[in-house]
Amino acid sequence: MEQVIKFELGRLNAHLPVKRISLKSALSASRPAVQGKNGNLHYFKREELKLLSKLLPESEWDKLQLPILIALESKLGRGAARISGEIEAKVIGKILQREATDNEIIVYRPELALIRRKLPTTTQYMFVW
Amino acid sequence: MAAAFTSSPNRMELMKVRKRLALAEKGHDLLKDKMDALVMELFNTLKTIQKSRATAIEQLRKGYEAVSACMAVMGTFETMQAAEETKKEIQIEISERNIMGIEVPTVEIEETERNALTRGYSLHTTSSHLDTAAREMERAVKLLVELAELEVTALTLARELERTKRRVNALEYILIPRLQGAMNFIMMRLDEMERENFTRLKRIKAILEGRE
Amino acid sequence: MSYKIAVIGDPETVIGFSLAGVSHTHVYRDKNKALGQLEEFLNNREIGLILITHRVVESLGPEFHQVVGKKGLIPLVLKIPDKTGYSPEKDELSDLVRRSVGIEIPVKTEGE
Repeated sequence: MEQVIKFELGRLNAHLPVKRISLKSALSASRPAVQGKNGNLHYFKREELKLLSKLLPESEWDKLQLPILIALESKLGRGAARISGEIEAKVIGKILQREATDNEIIVYRPELALIRRKLPTTTQYMFVW
Repeated sequence: MAAAFTSSPNRMELMKVRKRLALAEKGHDLLKDKMDALVMELFNTLKTIQKSRATAIEQLRKGYEAVSACMAVMGTFETMQAAEETKKEIQIEISERNIMGIEVPTVEIEETERNALTRGYSLHTTSSHLDTAAREMERAVKLLVELAELEVTALTLARELERTKRRVNALEYILIPRLQGAMNFIMMRLDEMERENFTRLKRIKAILEGRE
Repeated sequence: MSYKIAVIGDPETVIGFSLAGVSHTHVYRDKNKALGQLEEFLNNREIGLILITHRVVESLGPEFHQVVGKKGLIPLVLKIPDKTGYSPEKDELSDLVRRSVGIEIPVKTEGE
């Protein structure tokens, strides 16, 4: 049983990318993708990249790192999540139609559902403990 | 039950059990977060499936109807012949994406609808019924491909959710209570031993004092 | 990656999908032939999606799930109605959702 827990905890973040790529390079790639720590490829949908590029001025395309990481932190409480990074928070704020404070934005369950519906491939969950 | 966990109730053993309990509790919290996220992902997918299923299946019904009409007017053999002659060029793009370590497909398909000239069947044998049948079926294929992505995603998420739920339950109802039981047992034994020790010391002291 | 589509069903279903430009087809005759063909489609790396009618799936019985259960993510398998519109009362997804979430969520649509 404890082996199982360790296995499950190890698996939680195994999909996270080894290296993120900028929106700019994703837009110019023929098949934009990142590689996870587990070796699996994760492809971005072009329509999402287009949506993101409309939300940001072109000068910021190389500053947005993809996928945008949605951190589920146990200390934030159930259903809340943190998105860090100035540009990342700004983009998510625009999708939710509210201002991002400083360099991060905390989102709650209904907002999270909306973000995941609009950006299913360009956002990924990250578990923090 | 608790005794099975501990060979000897000492401080070392207590520390070990505490550690195992902390791991189990951490695992439980995280898997519960994962479960919440999975439920949300699944609901998002189910929401789109309802509509997608209805439109795809309605279009497929129209397609079959048009094929039947075509066979009735043109003849079964002629329709089969035309089906054989049709260019088979439909291609789909499948790539994978990851939701919390779960691989799900992303499927993309180009416009499936063609015009009568590019389908490849010989035009002198054909009627407008054939064109209608082909067109309706082409539309159906596009919708079915989109539906397949959603159905597979929902099934995969639901299976993972079922698995995660089993793990959370095992932690919540079996492992965590068992470890708590073991911890309480050790603490109780340690307390008892301390009390025994105390009384023994007192007795020794009394004996020593009584001797003087 | 680019893939092709396969379809398994009655003659009319197959004719319909051929007209739409689907390349790999199998007309159901008997269970063993269909199972063999299904396995071949599953192992064919060119194929990304297998469409199979509910009626054929029922004719294949538990072997269908055995064969399909061994596959990876690709090819995807989608069960579809045939020209009679037939689909079973029991919906795999609804069942699984009820078991895993514990509540009833309507997935099956009317007229399906």
